[in-house]
Amino acid sequence: MSAAAARIGLGAAVTVILAYLIFPVVVVLAISFSSGNFLSFPPPGFSLRWYQAIAGDPEWVSALFVTLKVGSLAALLATLLGVPAAFALVRYVIPAKALLSALILCALVTPPVVTAISTYLFFVPLGLVNTIVGLACAHAVSGMPFVVINTAASLRSADRNLERAAIIHGAPPLWAIIRITLPIVSPGIIIGAILAFVHSAHELLIATFLLGGVGKPVAVKIWSGVQATSDPTIAAASAILIGLAILTFASVAAAQSLARRRSA
Amino acid sequence: MDQSAATTRTSGAQVRLRKLSKTYGTTAAVDDISLDVPAGVFVSLLGPSGSGKTTTLNLIAGFLTPDSGDILIDDRSVAEVPPHRRNIGMVFQSYSLFPHMTVADNVGFPLRMRSKLTRDEARKRIAEMLALVQLSHLETRYPRQLSGGQQQRVAMARALVSRPRLLLMDEPLGALDRKLREQMQAEIRHIHRSVGTTVVYVTHDQSEALTMSDVVVVMHHARIAQIGTPRQLYEAPASAFVADFLGDSNLLPGTIAAVDESGYAVKIGNGVFVHAAQSQLKFSAGERAYILIRPEDMTVHPAGSAQGDGPQSLAGDVTELSYHGDVFWLSVAVGQGLLKVKVAREQGGAFETGRPVRVSWSPNAARLLPLADDDLRAGERARS
Amino acid sequence: MTITAQPETAAPRAPVLTLQRMMPALLLMPCLAWISFFFLLPLALMCWRSLTAEGFSLAAYSTLFTSALYAKVMLTTVKTASIATVLALSLAYPLAYALTLSGGKLRALILVFVLIPYWVDIIVRSFSWLILLGDNGIINKMLMTLGVVHTPLELLYNPFSVLVGMVQILLPLTTVILFGAMLRIDRTLIAAAKIHGAGGWQAFRTVFFPLSLPGVYGAALLVFVLSLGFYVTPALLGSPRETMIAQTIMVEANQLLDWEQASAAGFVLLVITTLIAAIYNRYFSLDRLWGGSDT
Repeated sequence: MSAAAARIGLGAAVTVILAYLIFPVVVVLAISFSSGNFLSFPPPGFSLRWYQAIAGDPEWVSALFVTLKVGSLAALLATLLGVPAAFALVRYVIPAKALLSALILCALVTPPVVTAISTYLFFVPLGLVNTIVGLACAHAVSGMPFVVINTAASLRSADRNLERAAIIHGAPPLWAIIRITLPIVSPGIIIGAILAFVHSAHELLIATFLLGGVGKPVAVKIWSGVQATSDPTIAAASAILIGLAILTFASVAAAQSLARRRSA
Repeated sequence: MDQSAATTRTSGAQVRLRKLSKTYGTTAAVDDISLDVPAGVFVSLLGPSGSGKTTTLNLIAGFLTPDSGDILIDDRSVAEVPPHRRNIGMVFQSYSLFPHMTVADNVGFPLRMRSKLTRDEARKRIAEMLALVQLSHLETRYPRQLSGGQQQRVAMARALVSRPRLLLMDEPLGALDRKLREQMQAEIRHIHRSVGTTVVYVTHDQSEALTMSDVVVVMHHARIAQIGTPRQLYEAPASAFVADFLGDSNLLPGTIAAVDESGYAVKIGNGVFVHAAQSQLKFSAGERAYILIRPEDMTVHPAGSAQGDGPQSLAGDVTELSYHGDVFWLSVAVGQGLLKVKVAREQGGAFETGRPVRVSWSPNAARLLPLADDDLRAGERARS
Repeated sequence: MTITAQPETAAPRAPVLTLQRMMPALLLMPCLAWISFFFLLPLALMCWRSLTAEGFSLAAYSTLFTSALYAKVMLTTVKTASIATVLALSLAYPLAYALTLSGGKLRALILVFVLIPYWVDIIVRSFSWLILLGDNGIINKMLMTLGVVHTPLELLYNPFSVLVGMVQILLPLTTVILFGAMLRIDRTLIAAAKIHGAGGWQAFRTVFFPLSLPGVYGAALLVFVLSLGFYVTPALLGSPRETMIAQTIMVEANQLLDWEQASAAGFVLLVITTLIAAIYNRYFSLDRLWGGSDT
């Protein structure tokens, strides 16, 4: 096989795989702007009626707010708990570090259904079921790995001597961490926080158990919609989520390019 | 002691390390180091990577806490003093300039942190420092807009602006190319003379240590191998390690056959004896030792010529000849191994490979060094 | 010379600042306490619950290991997860390889395409296959227009649709992991292979591919663990025959309210995933994230 032929073959394969990856996203977006009454692709015409339907439906609006509240609180908690942990893991010699890291990261690989039923069983006697705070507390656990991993990566690539340079020239250590190190590490923290938020917004099973009745978050609402109805409202709600996702994705990209410029 | 150090002694700090140790896991990074640095002196910590020199520097700075031992700055223990209160200036290997601050803000940083100067005084001091490092025209630039040499100067200015009595430098010239490095060496020397601060300078570059320092501390395996002025270290190394690490050396193992006032007769092969001079290192007959002869101390003669016969010479064949611009390097195979010989340009042209020659040296050029690989013992021998 | 190495008596070591010694513990404590309370404690409670239907009993576990239903569901789960893992790896590999070969704008473009789906809800991504693969979906319409088939193919509610959905969901993460592993391969080794006579394909097969295998194994373990827990995709795109363990647990808990049975099944699933994660950790140390244990 010649090198050129190999390249063309690889290029073709990559194009097909990328199309497979992106196609579902495009389809949902397209249908959300459909003028028809059914989930059909390609849509018969363009309209914003399904977005209007969502905006006019108090249940959907409240679901969006629930998701925003739970996600922000979970991301905030994950950040407050995860950033110091990342500092400790990167900066210090700690006994049983491997075990501790495994503990922090294991929420990532635990099957969601296991976390969901165990959390529900635990929260019933504590009265945390049907509360936004309860769900946020649970989501903070699975959001934490994102914060810890990204903060640790930033910390590792940051020049530690910058902080030392500040300290040796008179800055109190805490000042140096807050004013020198945190700004440098902040893109990593922000990416981690955004990922924790997105994780919370997408999480279905814990949310089903904890907020499955009244005050559903968007994910639960979409899930019940997907199983029951067949009009494009779901597509529009999904498109709003995709829009949010692309927005956050863009802000992450911006944060990353900021990080590159900082370190340049 | 060097004259320049004496005139500025008042403003530098005296640093003493007492039995300092630092261990990572099971490996000792710094092992029981004691050292006195007089005020105002430029002292280099020289050694291969992993010899403990940077760890020592970080212990002095306070970034690391020693497992045992103490550090005294001006006779005051700094064990309880956190780094930001030690009043030290420091230049880092990659400069570590704050990327979000201008040159002037970087230089002014220590003033904002530690001094009670008014805004005008601070501005004046920053201007003075920038003038000292010849960067007055760049004060509004950001670090990423500067060349490596310029960043290096900003780092110097920042380290010195609050007039610290002690300046630590961690391989500050490592990232620069050779020409610029030599220029910066001269500048750092000049700045040291004009401010009079005590400088502790870490480097793995032996020529840098020799040209810049009043005192060189050679480190090896987490310990101090030898301390001395550049000349002492080069001309009277206490161990094979120091001899080999500073400059080039020929080390011939041999057995001491006889001792008298003039020196030692050393048997280096079957019926081959050479003479080695007396030094502070004492050996007795029967002991095994290295004979050190520097390549530039040797002269090469065509074989059979009348010159260069006797116990300060060896016969051999030229196996390699290389041209280095200012000098020729010759490899001469004698019975006991290869001798490296440095020959002036005008003489080197006379030799070619395969030619039998005789290599000779002056009576004081050959010195004995302990044979043991244990350089630590050699260090102790030097002290006693 | 005034400077000497002085043999002196060791000064008594001043006590290290206790705050500094306590620092790592103080930094880690909140995080670990949170995980213990909101994650480990619930898991322990779930384990306890699985053993206490009416007094202490192993009834739930004996049901679990004797019932034909669970055996079948477990088999389906492992089979589906294995196939999904293999498919995700074989599609992610060329993507990741193309990423290592490309540079600049092309790499950025491919990365954006790979990552955008990652940010889209799993429900939404699964749901769109419902539209695409249905009897009136674009695939069937296209095939009928082209005259390839005359009646719509049954593309939904079978293992095929479940795998199509799962692999699309797993692909971004798999690609990112493989790309990360491939970036660690020294490109000059490929150049060295070529200069010593290997053709492009030979250099890939004899040097690059073997060096990328550890990354592939690591990705395989992670992707397999994640696949075991899938709920939404098989529920939406599969028939009852494609039921996976997470669905069964949800039915036990949410509809049958048999918490003992759900807990027992959940605990077994937890043990399996933890074991695989432990194997992963053994060979692909998580410690690498923090730059090794000796920083």
